[in-house]
Amino acid sequence: MDVVLLFGMVIGLLMIGVPIAVALGFSSILFLLWFSDTSMASVAHTLFSAFEGHFTLLAIPFFILASSFMTTGGVARRIIRFSIACVGHFPGGLAIAGVFACMLFAALSGSSPATVVAIGSIVIAGMRQVGYTKEFAAGVICNAGTLGILIPPSIVMVVYAAAVEVSVGRMFLAGVIPGLLAGFMLMVAIYIMAKVKNLPKGEWQGWREIFVSGKEAGWGLFLIVIILGGIYGGIFTPTEAAAVAAVYSFFIACFVYRDMGPLAHPEARSLSAAAVDVELSGGRSTLLQKPWAVVTAFFHPDTKQTLFDAGKLTITLLFVIANALILKHVLTDEQVPQKIASAMLDAGFGPVVFLIVVNVILLIGGQFMEPSGLLVIVAPLVFPIAIELGIDPIHLGIIMVVNMEIGMITPPVGLNLFVTSGVAGMPMMSVVRAALPFLAVLFVFLILVTYVPWLSTWLPTTFMGPELITK
Amino acid sequence: MKRSWTDTIEETIIALLLGLMTMITFANVVARYVYNSNILWALEATVFLFAWLVLLGASYGVKQNAHLGVDLVVELVSPPVRRILGLIAVSICLIFTLLMLKGAWDYWANFANLPATEGRWFPLGFEEKYRDKGWYEVYSVPHPEFLRWMEDVFNEGEEYEKIPRFIPYAVLPLSMALLLYRFLQAAWAIWTGKADRIVASHEVEQELEEVRAGHEEKA
Repeated sequence: MDVVLLFGMVIGLLMIGVPIAVALGFSSILFLLWFSDTSMASVAHTLFSAFEGHFTLLAIPFFILASSFMTTGGVARRIIRFSIACVGHFPGGLAIAGVFACMLFAALSGSSPATVVAIGSIVIAGMRQVGYTKEFAAGVICNAGTLGILIPPSIVMVVYAAAVEVSVGRMFLAGVIPGLLAGFMLMVAIYIMAKVKNLPKGEWQGWREIFVSGKEAGWGLFLIVIILGGIYGGIFTPTEAAAVAAVYSFFIACFVYRDMGPLAHPEARSLSAAAVDVELSGGRSTLLQKPWAVVTAFFHPDTKQTLFDAGKLTITLLFVIANALILKHVLTDEQVPQKIASAMLDAGFGPVVFLIVVNVILLIGGQFMEPSGLLVIVAPLVFPIAIELGIDPIHLGIIMVVNMEIGMITPPVGLNLFVTSGVAGMPMMSVVRAALPFLAVLFVFLILVTYVPWLSTWLPTTFMGPELITK
Repeated sequence: MKRSWTDTIEETIIALLLGLMTMITFANVVARYVYNSNILWALEATVFLFAWLVLLGASYGVKQNAHLGVDLVVELVSPPVRRILGLIAVSICLIFTLLMLKGAWDYWANFANLPATEGRWFPLGFEEKYRDKGWYEVYSVPHPEFLRWMEDVFNEGEEYEKIPRFIPYAVLPLSMALLLYRFLQAAWAIWTGKADRIVASHEVEQELEEVRAGHEEKA
């Protein structure tokens, strides 16, 4: 019963507008002071050891930083150009290219709303120009944008890995096949719709354009090679891979793309500038013109601003996670998940029912809560139960990620719907209606991922060997 | 938005801490592959910077209204009810911070040879007997020369090989005190009607504002 009280309090506090971090921390503190003999000093210590004791979490600020450097200005534009060159000539080509661009962008950024903003602000306008309806464009981007948290590197996966202590590398690998599959299913759906509705198709621009645009986008996309290659090649730990990726993106953004820093055109920065499709390269300087930039880039206001933006996002996410770890501490102390697990087993519930319950909880929660926040609350609770029921931890992680992905676009209030309505400048309800057909596709995908564990576990098991499950 | 000098200081500290974390971790990788050695203190130092970044930054988050939350109900109710909900929410934040401030002080104090407070919920005065823990050191970060004066103050003149623990832990009471100050400001803003909530529903709120502003310009 205590647990119901605890979670009731968390939810109640969230509803009246208490920040997630405080709602989690406050409920846990009250619980500890009431029901155990823990002192406030040890709660404070728990808060600090969220950082001291969880080296996995250290990867998050670096991933955020890497994607902040990568997403200043023109990377989204380069990726979109490459995508259009690759798939733009199919029926519904620009829409398919939008999905493809979201997938590529997801490989640079670990966040769904960020993907919608970056790709959506360019592609939605572009699709309208060539004759798609605004609704169709918004529906496509809104759904494809959710791939941001499924395709590695994904911040949500790092959070899951840290919360339940599985390997980040395995989670990333596990996301690859489902990520590609989801993108592919969306593309096929668009292709069929395009055939039926006779949607516009673009011109085939030739292999040269693919090569040229691919080379441009390649500098950015090489980031994912560094991260995945580095981790699986045994060169870096995930944290180090993230830090190396951050430094790499800094150099690419400052010296190759020159969208920011001392060599950039003065107006190249900011998202709105990226949306305006101007060829700014004329305004950029080369390193030969300004050799001192090698030094000044480190102290340039743009660099500071990017560091600060990434720092701010890190703070808001990690403050939630640190407080959620206090809650996890409470749950572990009270053996809560074990109790629920045995109650479920006694009642004769099997893995199938359990997974449906997890699906429903996350679909509801994912609608109005930021995914990492939701995950740190739910994961410690359902993870021990899943292990008890013989569900693979990596598979569970992917199920949770996909669930939240869909929660973000489930009416009435999914986060991505909200963001898309802002980006497309259209009312929420029309975005909801626009997103529905693709939402149905993703639902099929969710069922696939939930009941075909092979999709998530094959790649990590093949590359990293069978995993050891410790109860 | 107008930016004050405290904004500049806070933003610089946040950028600096994250930059340092990245550089140290990167340097460690370079050291391993290029010089075939490890920077022994790199991981621990990075972790401390990380804790400093998030805990100190938490108060900045309050100031900028950047803390993640759920604004579903807040959006639905009428402004007077919203104000009341806001006041309740911010009071809870204040209680949370006060409790954490007590805990943070209690945890840190003995490491700095200071008395912790008595009492479970409320500080009921300082403890009279306690064990000095000023000699506790961290595992691997070496003590820098310019902090040698600490040896006389906290360690009876004995040499610190690694930095004493009260240095990294000092962020706990410091950050909670700052957080308290910012929540008091937020409470005042809600009371006077300058703000109606203390949460943001997602992390791209600022970017979205930018795009929206773009739409309005065009329209």
